[in-house]
Amino acid sequence: MLKLIHTEFLKLRRRKFIFIMMLAALVMPFFALLYFRYFGHEGIEPMQFYRISAFGYTLWIVLPFILGILSTVIMYDENRNDMLKQLWIVPVSKMGYFFSKFFIVLIYSVCFMLITAVFSVAFSVLSGYVSFDFNSVLLLFGRSLQTGVLVAFAVLPVVAAAAMSKGYILPVFAALIYNFLGFFTASLNMYLHPLSSTAVIIMPDTSAASQTEPANIPLALLCIGVWGTASVLTAYTALKKRK
Amino acid sequence: MNEYVIETKQLTKVYSEQTAVNAVSLHIKKGQIFGLIGRNGAGKTTIMKMILGLTPVTSGQVNIFGSNIIGQEKKVFPRIGAIIETPGFYPNLTGTENLEIFALLRGTAAPHAVEDALKIVGLPYKDKKLFCKYSLGMKQRLGIANAVLHDPEILILDEPTNGLDPIGIAEVRDLLKKLSAQRGKTILISSHILSEISLLADDIGIIDHGILLEESSMSELKKKNRRYIQLQVSDIPKASLILERQFSIRDYCVKDDHTLQLFDTSADIGQINKTLISQDVTVSSSQLCNDTLEEYFKKITGGEGIA
Repeated sequence: MLKLIHTEFLKLRRRKFIFIMMLAALVMPFFALLYFRYFGHEGIEPMQFYRISAFGYTLWIVLPFILGILSTVIMYDENRNDMLKQLWIVPVSKMGYFFSKFFIVLIYSVCFMLITAVFSVAFSVLSGYVSFDFNSVLLLFGRSLQTGVLVAFAVLPVVAAAAMSKGYILPVFAALIYNFLGFFTASLNMYLHPLSSTAVIIMPDTSAASQTEPANIPLALLCIGVWGTASVLTAYTALKKRK
Repeated sequence: MNEYVIETKQLTKVYSEQTAVNAVSLHIKKGQIFGLIGRNGAGKTTIMKMILGLTPVTSGQVNIFGSNIIGQEKKVFPRIGAIIETPGFYPNLTGTENLEIFALLRGTAAPHAVEDALKIVGLPYKDKKLFCKYSLGMKQRLGIANAVLHDPEILILDEPTNGLDPIGIAEVRDLLKKLSAQRGKTILISSHILSEISLLADDIGIIDHGILLEESSMSELKKKNRRYIQLQVSDIPKASLILERQFSIRDYCVKDDHTLQLFDTSADIGQINKTLISQDVTVSSSQLCNDTLEEYFKKITGGEGIA
């Protein structure tokens, strides 16, 4: 497995687009800066800033969509270049193939969130809207790390869609639908969709408020686990059939 | 012990209603070059894909190293190198980087494996040219390099000379001959170029419309396709008698009422003609003939030649 992951990193050489996508990590910290600048707030609570810069739309929309694109790019190229035959006769196992791709998504997700956290601190403290508080920064980095890991697991269905499809239209479309579904189902039940379940785990205080009931973290983890397992099995079956 | 390194038994592949491969039984001996020849779409690639487990078998069985391939992939595939259709590689990487990935995946232990494989096919090591800038011939060479990278015992090569220039084709031919003769590799190669296979293979399988029409050694096939002198004469019994009594020729056959084929091509055709005519046997034509592999292919497929 380590060999597979190592080769996945080697395959990313000269893939500028994948690194350019990282710039999206700056989007929400920058919007948070504009938001607080527009309203002329000063002396804002650090977590108030970070909630917008790192855990709001980043968790729900930006990161899942970027991860969807990433999964599509890393799998589509192998399909387009007819690489899978060569890999199967090495032999590379179908599960190994899928998990090595997922591992890239996981690492990317964590890096993305850490960059978001760094820029959240930079934009908030350097602009003077938030006073530097070591505990808040520590909390931000801790939760960013958590978000990076959990969102990667939450987008497993999109990674599976990318593994199942030979083209790129279906997985990108699936990523979009999946993200918006997460957004809409959250108003019905936070434990239906892995993304809303991730929000429950990351921000139990705010996300559960809309549900008028205390956050149920085991249920949220179960939701992510069930979707993840179903996705892995579906991807495995599809890869096995496709050859 | 089974002498065949690769053996297929009644291998069949059906796609919905179309039978792509129909009960093909191949027998490939250790250290031999087996040429699978047929037109485009005859089923060559499908057979190779089934041997490598890249497409499910509808019925029949594939044995490699004496045992069924199904479930043995992890044990058997590291002993096989293959090119199926056009070899695909990562376009954003150089040839060396691409091979390094496969060497890593295969756990190739030899430190200079990539360099050696590239040297074998005449591609530069550590070159900066990306795979996406490679010509078709270079891509094909890299595919061969990837197939031999881990020093496998079996090579399965699906039209490996596609896109190569004549010098490249000759180089690949020499390389494969060397791999078979010096290093004892067993090679299964497919092609639609008859001359290519006839220069390379020890054994040959002729496939048409998914059916294996013939499986034999090249030497047997050459015997079938040997050179002969064809005589058109007015009186076959009399001509036969003259050939046997006066020229001691017994290696001949009567093709029809007026045609004789002499397989001893060293016979003095001028003297034969003269003798026949002098004994009132009219000779309307006499010529040296040679059945090529292409003619043989035409004969057994009942169609036109392929290359």
